[in-house]
Order: sequence, then C-alpha cells, then structure tokens
Amino acid sequence: MSRYLFVVPPLVGHINPTVAVGGELADRGHEVAWVGHPATLRTLLPQGACVLPALDDELEQRIQDARQHWLGLRGMAVVKFFWQDFMIPLARAMVPGVEAAVREFAPDVLVADQQALAGPLVAHRTATPWVTSASTPAELFRPLKSLPKVEAWVDAQIEDLVHEVVGRSTPDIRFSERLVLVFTSSALVGNGFPDHYVFTGPALSHRPNRTDFPWHWLADGQRRVLVSLGTLNGAAGERFFGEVADAVADLRGVQVVVVGPPGSLTRAPDHVLLAERVPQLELMPHLDAVVSHGGHNTVCEALAHGLPLVVAPIRDDQPMIADQVVSAGAGIRLTYGRVRAAEIRGALEEVLDRPGYAEAARRVQQSFQAAGGASTAADHLEAVVA
Amino acid sequence: MADAVLDELVRLIEEVVGPDVLLGIEVDRDTTFSDDLGLESIEFVALADRLRRHYGDRVDLVGFLADMDIDEIMAMSVGRLVDHIEASVGLATGRG
Repeated sequence: MSRYLFVVPPLVGHINPTVAVGGELADRGHEVAWVGHPATLRTLLPQGACVLPALDDELEQRIQDARQHWLGLRGMAVVKFFWQDFMIPLARAMVPGVEAAVREFAPDVLVADQQALAGPLVAHRTATPWVTSASTPAELFRPLKSLPKVEAWVDAQIEDLVHEVVGRSTPDIRFSERLVLVFTSSALVGNGFPDHYVFTGPALSHRPNRTDFPWHWLADGQRRVLVSLGTLNGAAGERFFGEVADAVADLRGVQVVVVGPPGSLTRAPDHVLLAERVPQLELMPHLDAVVSHGGHNTVCEALAHGLPLVVAPIRDDQPMIADQVVSAGAGIRLTYGRVRAAEIRGALEEVLDRPGYAEAARRVQQSFQAAGGASTAADHLEAVVA
Repeated sequence: MADAVLDELVRLIEEVVGPDVLLGIEVDRDTTFSDDLGLESIEFVALADRLRRHYGDRVDLVGFLADMDIDEIMAMSVGRLVDHIEASVGLATGRG
C-alpha cells in the first residue's frame, strides 16, 4: 500500500477532482491525505479524511480578496495579477505547511494541483516524486504563446520562485515529467499531447453532498434546465441574471433552476426556482440542459450526464472551454457581456428541441466513460509508485 | 489618412470584442487595449487576423506585440497601433 498527499489551493473546482481520486485510492487501501486550507477542505471531503494545514484563515482570506480583485481586472492586467499577486504569493504561503505535511505524512507521491505550486517546490526540496493534477486543460494550450515576452515574463516569475524556494533550477513545475492528470477527454481537447499526459475525463465520485434541495418541486412531464454561473457575481452577473429571468419567464413545459444570490432574479414565476446553492451533481440526472459560464467543472459535469449546454464564457479559460463544447457539437456559445433575453431563449430552445446537441453531448459522455475518471487516475498513480 | 485608419481599426476591434463592449466608450487614440477595452491574448490574435485580412501581410500585429513586454502591452493605446499600421502600410506602398 502507498501514501498519497494531495496539495490543493483553496478553490472548490480544483479540490473536487482530488476528492474523487483520493477516495478511489482510499477504497483500494492506500493512505491518502490533503494539505491546503483546512476549513475549505473539510466542507468538500468526506468526514474523517486526513487534512493537514498549509493556509490559515487569515491567509486564505487574503488569497480570496486577491482573487476577488483579480475578477474585476481587464486585459493583460489579469495575467500580471494572476501570477504576481495570486499564484506566486499562494505558493510561497503554502510552502512551510506543505513541507511540514510531507515530513509528517511521508508520502510516496505528492499530487499537486496545477495552481498549488508549493507542491512541486516542496517535492523538489524533499526529493519526493510528484505528479500534476490539472483541473482545467487551459495551460496545456500555452494561452500566452502569441505574446512571447509575456509568456517569458510568466516563466521568469516561476523561475525566480523556484530559485528562492528550491535554490536551483528545475524543470517546469507546472507540468510533472512523471504524470499529468487532466480531467477531460480527447473528445474535447483533441490529441497530440505527450504520453505521460493522461486524460481521465471528469472525476465525479466520492463527493459528499451536504446541500439540500426541494426535490418535490421537480414536476413530472416537464423538461428541466439548470442555470449556473459558478461562484462569480458582480454587476455583469446581475445583468445576465436579469436577461435569463426574461428569457425563461414565458417558457412553457420547462422548469428552470437558477443558482444565484438571493434577489438576483427580477422575477421568478412558479416554474423558476432561485437557489443560492444546489447539489449540482445530484441534480444533473434530472436535467435536460445546462446554462453555464463555461467553468470547466460545470461543463464536464453536464457532459458527463449527456446534457447539452448553452455557454456564456466570462473570462480566463472559459472562452476556450466554450469553444470546445461548440466544436464537439454539444452546445451553443453566447457572449456573456452583451447577450439579450431573446438570444438566451433561442439558444435554450435550440439545445432542448434539436436532438443533435444532446446526441453530441452523449458522445462526449461516452468518451468520458471510456476515459475512466477517478479509477483511471488511480491506476496511473499506482503505477507511479510501482 | 489618419482618421481612416482609426475608423477602420475601431470597426475591426468591434468585430472582435462585440459592439456592446464599445457602447459608452469613445474610442480615440488614447484608448488602451488592455484596461479600457479589456482585450485578452486570444483577442489580440483575432484582431491580428482581421488586420492582416484588411491590410495584407504588411500589418503584422502578432509580430508587433512579440517585441512588447507585459507593461508595454498593458499601456498600448489605439493611437500607437494606428501609427504602426500607417507606418507599415506607408512603407510597403512607398508613401512613407
């Protein structure tokens, strides 16, 4: 039996895949632990999971504040802030805790989320084998390759951090040379990646559900749509919710669940339910379509259930994810910043009524099933130790 | 000529970012691509494609950006790109 330590940032979408993979490893009799922000981890992990601290509440709050600030930025400032004020300080802050966790837990393998660079840094310092967990495929496509000096600037930020913490140069700490787990499939991202990049599809198992839902509200004979913009909000979000409310107001034979803060819908007729949180994964089998901002987790959860999508990407890797959905034929892309109710309604009717979208979504679903999810990830993690 | 290039550039930017992004923004020479227009790296590439289609290979925005560091790109204004287009087109047609 082996010991696996997951190093994760305080971000739900990055932790969730490791919950599944860690759960699968534990089922196989391995010892598993997580290191990160304990309070965030405890809400997402099963009770009794081994959690080690690398971020206290004050530091976590600072990281979340930085992230909120980042969400308000535009253009190249997004890139600069992301590395200079989020990724690098987060890595630096987590190093002591991750190092203590490695001493205490003595892992055979360290599984580092791509946004928890403290993982590979400590792995190099302690000569521990490490692998990458890429919760989104965005970095695989070198998003800054058209701006070589910007890309070089990012590389330099990372190299400086590596020298500061490890004291020498290392290979790229964003991509392990042993194993890179990517939670999508070739049906979405294509082929042509190195052999040690393993595309497992989404890993959705072992996730405890602690959110209630009024299941009796779901009516027989109705089609059902989920509208979810992830954890983003703000002024642009309000506008979008308003357009969604208008788009679905007169929709017949369809029930709509909107995930958003209280008051974010200007009107909510009987067939529209506004909820601050929903058990998204448990809801999926009851749905016919999903409207999303293109967050990788929500998109892959929908496709894993064969559901067509309407995607209105906001920023970051979301436009890329939206394009992958469109290329696969599994959905329609809208422009988040300017879309109007009529367009949202038209897109919704299209994905609900034209079977081609759901058929394409089911093809992606099959590719996910073939990819194997957490079980495939666990196979490869076992092979790293063997 | 300056106005013609500026007008054409604004039209191409609108194609890339969508018309509503430019609503309420008076795009002039001082408008910045990064902070004012919120252009991201893939949108720069899309704008480069449109410029090349309109002006031909003489106008190479990707090449122009390749020499810029992150702060220069953050500070880049519409006027600076207008000048670059004029210089590129002018040189190629011998109008200087």
